[in-house]
Amino acid sequence: MNRRMLLLPALCLLPAWAADQALPKAETLLDKYVEVTGGKAAYEKRRSEVMTIQMEIVGRGIKGTLTRYTDSSNNSISTGELEGVGKMEEGVYHGQAWENTAIMGPRVKSGAENDDAVRDSYFNAPLLWRKLYQAETVGVETVNGEDCYKIMMTPLAGGKPQYDFLSRKTGLILKTERTMVSPMGEISVQASTSDYKSFEGILYPTKVVQNVMGNQVSLTMIALKANQDIPKDRFEPPAEIKKLMAK
Amino acid sequence: MSFHRVLAAAIVFALASGAAELTPEQRKKNADSFEYAWSKIRENMWAPMPEGLDWQAVHDELKPKAASARTMEDARAVMRDMIARLKLTHFNIVAADLYDELGNGPGRRGDGGSPGLDLRLVDGQALVVSVDAGSPAQLAGVRPGWVLVKADGAGIREAIRKLDAALPDSTHKELAMTRAVMAKIGGAPGSKVPVEFLDASNRPVKMDLEIGMPRGEASKIGFMPAQHVWFESRKVENSGYVRFNLFLDPARLSTLFANAVEECSECDGFIIDLRGNPGGIGGMAMGFAGWFVDRQGVRLGAMRMKGQDVKFAIFPRSRTFRGPLAILVDGLTASTSEILAGGLKDIGRARIFGAPTAGAALPSVFEQLPNNDGFQYAIADYISEGGDRLEGKGVTPDQPARWTRKALLAGQDPALDAALAWIRKGKNQ
Repeated sequence: MNRRMLLLPALCLLPAWAADQALPKAETLLDKYVEVTGGKAAYEKRRSEVMTIQMEIVGRGIKGTLTRYTDSSNNSISTGELEGVGKMEEGVYHGQAWENTAIMGPRVKSGAENDDAVRDSYFNAPLLWRKLYQAETVGVETVNGEDCYKIMMTPLAGGKPQYDFLSRKTGLILKTERTMVSPMGEISVQASTSDYKSFEGILYPTKVVQNVMGNQVSLTMIALKANQDIPKDRFEPPAEIKKLMAK
Repeated sequence: MSFHRVLAAAIVFALASGAAELTPEQRKKNADSFEYAWSKIRENMWAPMPEGLDWQAVHDELKPKAASARTMEDARAVMRDMIARLKLTHFNIVAADLYDELGNGPGRRGDGGSPGLDLRLVDGQALVVSVDAGSPAQLAGVRPGWVLVKADGAGIREAIRKLDAALPDSTHKELAMTRAVMAKIGGAPGSKVPVEFLDASNRPVKMDLEIGMPRGEASKIGFMPAQHVWFESRKVENSGYVRFNLFLDPARLSTLFANAVEECSECDGFIIDLRGNPGGIGGMAMGFAGWFVDRQGVRLGAMRMKGQDVKFAIFPRSRTFRGPLAILVDGLTASTSEILAGGLKDIGRARIFGAPTAGAALPSVFEQLPNNDGFQYAIADYISEGGDRLEGKGVTPDQPARWTRKALLAGQDPALDAALAWIRKGKNQ
């Protein structure tokens, strides 16, 4: 009886609370993200980026370093090595994504997996979300003790939506959730982003912790060089990938 | 601080403390280690606990014992008791000092050194099935087909009988028994072990067999203990033949494997000898399979994890080997080796020769526990493309061919000979 008495007032209050908490539009939040991370002008000055990233599979003692090159051509290439595992390379070259690892060998991506990689390779992506996604604010969730707006980002070209969690307080992205589609199946990835630091006028999360397939992968950006002259052939895939592309 | 430094500190401490009781801090670390391992198993178990095991009851019974263990070995025994109750492969506790012995320092008996011979248990005897070129065993005159009768004063036939009685019947039994016997002729490189063989004429041959350095190059990945990896390839008749002891050191092994296949593009057939290969990095099975499959969308099987399946997709190389593919297996073929053999068999790409495999095929990971010991635990089951679990079942050869003493003494290799005959037959048709 007592419980029921408590429950009824709570139910009566719910609609009033919901009306007060109307969710802001996704475009407002995403545009604010651009502003708080440096502003449109700062992004537009960017022509290229070279990131150095330390990578660790947490708790497994597996570490390595990656270097990622991107520029306004929307090509990208990441190369690195994990201790005991060997070389890892991946990239996007003129709309074709590829990967080459010592363990599984070379492969070119196709279908939804290729689409995802190509979207991820867009340079200055925060400015271009309207070209790539339909965005909708779908709720409020707490991430590491901070209230965040949850935005559903649905690719305009089709594919699984991803979710970005933007802090109500700072406007920064604190978490993303997505489902990666690949020949190995649908793999869900949750990534928390933190430790934002400014690199030549733009804030970047320098710490990303991904939870994927029961593994926790920690990525720490230790350097970012902007507007370097990256030779165009830097983005060319290795010979074995070119052979697969030509097949 | 590097992992090795952490380990070195632990070992120095262990040496200094001898058999003294553990400090309260060490006991807490053992309790934390138990809790960590127990939780990891609960979080990652992909199916209900085997045979209705009450995992919480296991925790409540054993955690106080782990926390009050007087020595590190006692603590490990409690944790090994916990994981033994799962009755699954790929769950292990690795003593912290073993990492150093395997990875950095000279080995101890059973810890890495080898006289350079391989044994299999056949009809209650330990048969020498191969002798490495240039190894102490070869230099001492040991030959395939000889029987190991005694090692370090212990009768081998008696040891086999005891192991046979002690170990439960399973597909893993041969693997466990053979490893136990092999351990009797392992040791620190440079040391000697007294042994007695029966030669081809059944005459006893006694010798102090020198223990050599482990074959191959040391390879280490994460918290997995360092292991030596070797690879050999050659042409037999006009077929390519590769053999390697582990699916590790991918940068080196993948290149060697690639070279072997590419140099054999005009061969009549290709043979992958996975006998005695206990596996390693599961993903390498996908990489190797890509040399023999030229269709997209083909898989070796799937890893069934908690909440999701991960398919072992094959990614065809730009140029693949399209001729007959034979894979040789035996009771010591396990894990990644079974995934490769079973998967290629299921999709009709390879014919399997030899004896049934170990049925020990659970994908697993290594982590370090708070007390510095290593902890291996399975995170998934493996389902072959044909829909079968490999764990506890293994891969059944298309064409059985077992080691026999008579064949070995005659310089024959029944499984390899059968594979070559099959390739010849295909060429002539």
